[in-house]
Amino acid sequence: MNGGGQAMAAPQIVPAPRLSLASVVVAIILLGCAAAWTWPPLQRWPVEWAIPFRDWVTQAFVWFSAAAKPVTRGLSWLLSWPLWLSEALLFRGFPALNLLPLPWVAIVGGTAILGHWAGGRGLAIFCGLSVFYLAIFGLWQDAMQTLSIVLVTVPLAAAFGLGLGLWATRNARVERVLNSVFDVMQATPHMAYLGPVVILFGFGQVPAMLATFGFALPPMARCTILGLRTVPQDVIEAGRMAGCTPGQLLWKVEIPAAEKTLMLGLNQVVMQTLAMVVIASLVGASGLGQKLLFSLQQLQIGKAVEQGVAITLIAIVLDRLTQAYIRKAPEHQATRTGFIARHPHLSLFLLLLATSGAAAAFLQAFAVPPRELTLSYGGPINSAVRWVSKELFPYIKPLRDWLTVWLMLPLRSFYLWLPWPVMLGVLAAIGYHLSGWRLALLPVCLFGFLMLAGFWEPLMLTIYLVTGATILCVLIGIPIGIWAAHSPRAAHVTRGVCDTLQTFPSFIYLIPVIMLFQTSDVSNVIAMLAYATVPAIRFTYLGLLRVPAATMEAAVASGATNWQRLRKVELPIAFPEILLGINQTIMMALAMVAITALIGSRDLGQEIYKALPGADTGRGLIAGLGIAFIGITADRLIGAWAMQRKRQLGLA
Amino acid sequence: MTEQPKISCRHLWKVFGSDPAGFLARHGHAPTSENFAAGRHIGAVRDVSFDVYPGEILIVMGLSGSGKSTLIRAITRLNDPTVGEIIFEGRDLLKASPAELIDIRRHKMGMVFQHFGLLPHRTVLSNVAFPLEVRGATREERDARAREMIRLVGLEGRENYFPRELSGGQQQRVGIARSLAVGPDVWFLDEPFSALDPLIRREMQDEFLRLQKLLRKTIVFITHDFDEAIRLGDRIGIMKDGRLVQLATPEVMVSSPADDYVREFTRNAPRDRVLTVGSIASPVPAPLNGVNILASAKIGEAAAIVLASEKPIAVIDAEGRSIGAIDRPAMIRALYPEERP
Amino acid sequence: MKYVRMIAGLGALSLVSGSAFAEDSSDPIKIVTNNWTSQVVLSNVIGQVLESAGDKVEYKPSDTQLQFTAIAAGDMDFQVEVWEGSMAESFDKSLKSGAVDYGAHQAVTREDWWYPSYMNEMCPGLPDWKALDACAAKLATADTGSKGRFVGPPADWGKHYSERIQALNMNFQEVPVGQAATLWAELQAAYDRKEPIVLFNWTPNFIEAKFDGHFVEFPKYDPACLTDPKWGQNPDAVYDCGAPASGYLKKVGSKELDQKWPKAAAILKKVSFTNPQIAAAAALVDVEGLTPEDAAKKWIEANQDTVKSWLQ
Repeated sequence: MNGGGQAMAAPQIVPAPRLSLASVVVAIILLGCAAAWTWPPLQRWPVEWAIPFRDWVTQAFVWFSAAAKPVTRGLSWLLSWPLWLSEALLFRGFPALNLLPLPWVAIVGGTAILGHWAGGRGLAIFCGLSVFYLAIFGLWQDAMQTLSIVLVTVPLAAAFGLGLGLWATRNARVERVLNSVFDVMQATPHMAYLGPVVILFGFGQVPAMLATFGFALPPMARCTILGLRTVPQDVIEAGRMAGCTPGQLLWKVEIPAAEKTLMLGLNQVVMQTLAMVVIASLVGASGLGQKLLFSLQQLQIGKAVEQGVAITLIAIVLDRLTQAYIRKAPEHQATRTGFIARHPHLSLFLLLLATSGAAAAFLQAFAVPPRELTLSYGGPINSAVRWVSKELFPYIKPLRDWLTVWLMLPLRSFYLWLPWPVMLGVLAAIGYHLSGWRLALLPVCLFGFLMLAGFWEPLMLTIYLVTGATILCVLIGIPIGIWAAHSPRAAHVTRGVCDTLQTFPSFIYLIPVIMLFQTSDVSNVIAMLAYATVPAIRFTYLGLLRVPAATMEAAVASGATNWQRLRKVELPIAFPEILLGINQTIMMALAMVAITALIGSRDLGQEIYKALPGADTGRGLIAGLGIAFIGITADRLIGAWAMQRKRQLGLA
Repeated sequence: MTEQPKISCRHLWKVFGSDPAGFLARHGHAPTSENFAAGRHIGAVRDVSFDVYPGEILIVMGLSGSGKSTLIRAITRLNDPTVGEIIFEGRDLLKASPAELIDIRRHKMGMVFQHFGLLPHRTVLSNVAFPLEVRGATREERDARAREMIRLVGLEGRENYFPRELSGGQQQRVGIARSLAVGPDVWFLDEPFSALDPLIRREMQDEFLRLQKLLRKTIVFITHDFDEAIRLGDRIGIMKDGRLVQLATPEVMVSSPADDYVREFTRNAPRDRVLTVGSIASPVPAPLNGVNILASAKIGEAAAIVLASEKPIAVIDAEGRSIGAIDRPAMIRALYPEERP
Repeated sequence: MKYVRMIAGLGALSLVSGSAFAEDSSDPIKIVTNNWTSQVVLSNVIGQVLESAGDKVEYKPSDTQLQFTAIAAGDMDFQVEVWEGSMAESFDKSLKSGAVDYGAHQAVTREDWWYPSYMNEMCPGLPDWKALDACAAKLATADTGSKGRFVGPPADWGKHYSERIQALNMNFQEVPVGQAATLWAELQAAYDRKEPIVLFNWTPNFIEAKFDGHFVEFPKYDPACLTDPKWGQNPDAVYDCGAPASGYLKKVGSKELDQKWPKAAAILKKVSFTNPQIAAAAALVDVEGLTPEDAAKKWIEANQDTVKSWLQ
C-alpha cells in the first residue's frame, strides 16, 4: 500500500492556491448573506426588474413566422412529398394508382433478410421477430407511420449533418461556432425544440419531423468532423497523388475511408429520432408516439407498454442493424457470375416480395395484418401495475415520506432561500479555482442572464430537483457499479437492465411512479432516477475496470483487504471516471426535467411544457436554454475537476 | 553528368509559422537558426538544391525531424514549399495551376507511403486501379492495367482481397502496384519499408531492386535507415535540421564524409560492400599478375585475396590495364578505419 | 438499404393491385383529434358519417389550445368538443380571427373538485364542501404538512382553485399536476388502495364509467362571484363559489369548411350529442377496449336515428 500511496502522492505538484477555496467560499457566503439581509433585491431579484427577453423572443418569432410563412409553407409542402411516398409504400398504398402498400409479410421477411445480410442468423431472427411483434400486437399501421417519419428524417438529418460536418472540416471558424451551437443544442431538452417549430410550421407530421431533424443533426455533424479528421494522412495523400480533384478526393477517398465513424453518426441519428418519436407527438405526429400518449391518458398502462415496447424494438432493430453494418468488414469473395449468386439477399427479398405481393392481391391477410389474429398482453400488465401500487404502497409510503421530509423539503427551502449573489459567487469561485477566469465567468453570465430574464425561481427549482436526483443516483448507482465491476454476472444483468431503461420511452415510467409516489417532487426525482442512474453505474464500472492490474496487484501484495483495496486504491484511481459519470447523470436528469413536467413541477421543464400550447416561444426557448445552461455549467465545472484529478493521478 | 536532370530543386524553403513568406523576406531569404528560434517559425526545409537524373535512385536520408518527409511533400506539392523552384521536365512545378498539377500527378508521378495509404473499403484490384479511375479510364482498361501491375508485384490471386486481409508486406506491394499503375516517369517512395519487420523489409528491398532493373524509373526514395540507403541508392543525400548536408554516392560518402554528422552515420556502414577497390588502391600501378582485381569491385569481394597475399596485387580497369595496386595494410585500413578521437 | 427497399417496393407495387380505394376528387376535411377518449370517438363518428355522405376526411391530432389557432388559420377544419370550462377563452379569441361557431351539443359539461364514493364514510356530510374541509387532516401528506391535499389541474388551466381555498378559508393546499393522465394515475392508485383523495375532474368523461364518485358541492355558481367580492360568504374575496354545474359543449369549424364543403358543413351544424351518448361512446373504448374507429362504427349502428336526423 505504501508504494501505491506514494506514487499517487508524488505528482501532486499543484501550487498551493493563494487563498484556499474554502475560505473564499465562506467569505462569499457571509458577505452575500449580509448583503441580502441589508437589501432584499440581493436576496431575490425583483420580478418587476426582469428584462422582458421572453416577450421579445416571442414577438420576434411571431413576426418572423409571419414573414417567413411562404418559405415555411413551401418547406412543409416540399417535405410532405417524401413522407407521402414513404407512407404510401409502408401502409397507405397508392389509391390513385390502385396499388396496395408493401405487404406486411414482405416487410417482416425483408427486415429479417436485411438482418441476415448485416449480421448473420441471430440478427435475422431478432429482426424478423421484432417486426412480427408490430404485426401481431395490432400496431402495424402506427408503427409504419412512425417508421415513415424515421425513414424520411434520418436520411435528411444524416445528409445535412454530413454537409455541416464537411463545412466545419474545411473551415476552422465554422467548426468553432458549430461546436458551441451543438453544445447548447444537445443540452437543450427535446421538448424545447417543439416550441419554435410549432410557431413556424404549425402542427402535424412535418413539424414533428423538423423538430426531430433539428435534434438528430448534431451527432451526425460531430461524427462527420471526427471521421474526416481521423482518416489517415497517408490515405489522403495517396488520393491526392493519384490525381484526385477535390471532389474526387472527398467522395472517393475521405468519405469512404471515414465510413465507420459516419455510420456511427447515422446510428446516433436513428436513436435520437426514435427518442424524439413520443415527444414529437405532442405537436401532432401520428403513429406509435401519439397512440402511446393516448393510452397513458386513458390510464391503459398495459397498452402503453405494448406500444412502448414497439418503439423500443424499432430502436433496437435499427441500432443493431447499423451496428452490425459498422462491424461488418468487407470480405473478398470468389468472383461469381449471375445476379442471384452475387446478390443472394436481394434476390431472396425480391422473390419474397413477388410471392407475397401476388398473395396479397388475392388474400387481404397478406397485405395488412389481420385484426382477428392480433394479441395483447396489456391486461396482465395493467393488473400487475395496479397490484404493485396497491400491495407495495405500505412499504413505499414511509420511504416516500422520509425522502420528502428529510431530503426534498430541506433542499427546496435551501435553494429557494439562497441569495443569488452567493449562488453566482460560489460557482464563480469554484470555476476560478478549477480552471481560471473563463470558467468563473461562465456560470455568472449564463445564470445571470436567466435571472435577468425572470427565470430565477424555476432555475433554482430545477437545480433543486437535479440535485436531489443526482444525490440519489450516486447513492444507488455507484454501489451497483462497484458490484458489477467485481462480479461478471452482475455486470451482465446490469448491462441488460441499463440498456432497456435507456431505450424505453420515459413517459411510461411516469404513471407507475405517480401511482406509488403521488404528484410530488419525490415522484419527479424518482422518474429522473430511472434514466439518470445508468451513467453513474456505467462510469463507475468502467472506471474500476480501468484501474491498472499492476496497481491492484501491488495493493494485494501489500496485504490490503478487499475493502481497503476498494477504498484506498480502486476508488481514488477511478474517481475522475466516476466524476464524468456523475456529470452524465446530471445531463440525463436535466433531459428528464421537461418530461417530469407532465407529473407536475414548477421548474424550467414546466415552463417549456406550458409554453407549448400557447405558442409562447420566448418562454419555452429561454426555459430550454436555462436547462442547457445548467447542463453546460455542470459539464464544464465537473469536466475541469475530473481533468485536474486525472492530471494529479498522471492519467491524463 | 551531362544529362538533363529530370527534377531540379533550387533553393527550396519550407517554413512553418504564422507568416512564413514574410519571415523569409525579413531575413533576406537566409535566416539563421537563431532567427528561427527568435521568430517563432520552424524551418523544416532550408535552402535545399539538388538534381535528380533520369533512371537514378536518389535516396534522401535523415533522422526523424530532419525535414526529409517535408522535402518530398514539397517536391510533390502535397505541401507547397514556401519559396524556391522545382523544375520538372523544364517547367516550374510551383507555378503549375491546380488543374495542371492534377494532370501531372495523373500521368507522371507515382508515390508509395510509409503506412501504405490503401483505401480500406476497396479491394486490391480497385485500389490499384484507383489512379486510373480518377483520371477517367474505362473499366476494362483500368482493370487490365491493374491486373498487370498486381502480377508485377506478385499478388496475382489476391485481386478481390481487402487490404485488411493482407499482411503488411502484401499491403505495401499493393501500394507499389498502385503507384506504378499510371506508368509514372518519377517514382516517389516515402519510407516505404519502415513499417515492415526486418525480414520482410529485406525481401521488399530486393523486390524494389528487381522492379527498378525492369522499369528504370527516376526515383526519389526517403528513408531513415542508412543501411537501406547504401543498399538501394545510386546517390544519397543526408539531411539535418532541414539542410541537405551532403549529396554523394555511397562510396564517396563513406570514404569522405562531409562532416562529423555524416561520419557518424557512415561509421557502422558495411564498408566492404560500399567501397570499391579503386578508391583505396595506391595510384602506383603494380605489374599484372595471375590474380588481378577490378577497380570497380567492392572491397568485400577482394578482401580474401588481398589479405591472403604477401605482395600488393594489381588493380585493373575494365580494359585490363593496371591502374594501381592494393596491399594487405591498405585493405585492413579500409575495412577497419581507426577510431578518430 | 432504403434504396434497395424502394426499388423492390416499386417492383412489388406494379405486381399488386387493389380495388378497395375510390378516389375522391375533393380535398379531405381535416378533423381535429385530442388526447381523450370521448373526443376521439366522436371525431371518428362524425368522420365516418361524413365519409358515408361522400366526403373525404383526415384526422389531425392536436393540442387543445393550439387547435384554435390552427382552425382560425384554416390549417384544420373541425373540432367536435369545445369545453366551456377549459377552452372558452381560446375559443372566443378564435371566433374573432376567423373560426366559425358550429353550435352547441345537447350535452352539458361540469368541471370541479371530485371525490370517489367510498369517501362518504370517511368524511360524513359529503358532498358538501364544509364536510370536506372538516376532513382535511385525512387528506394530509408529508408534502402538504397538516393541510389537506387537493390534486389540482395543470397550473395553466386557469381554474383559480388556490384563490377559492383562500376565499373559503379552507385547510387545503392545491398540488397541480402536469397533465390529465397524472390525475387518473393518482385516482387509480388511491381507488385501488381505498385511500381518501380529492381531485379535479369533469364530465362527460370516461372516468365516470370506471370510477364511482361525486363532485364536491361548493356554494352555487353565480357570475357575480367572480367579479364582486361582496357576493357570497366571504365579503372580501372573489372565487368563493363552485364552478357552473352545466357549461356548454360546442363545435367549431374553419371559415373554409362552409365554402369548400357546404354539404358537410350543413351536416356538422346539425350534429349534436347528449351526455349519455358521449359517455357510451367513451365506454366502448375505455371499458370494452375497442379501437376508436371500431367504437365509432358500433356507436353509429346503435344510434341510427340520431345519425339520420343529422343527415336530413
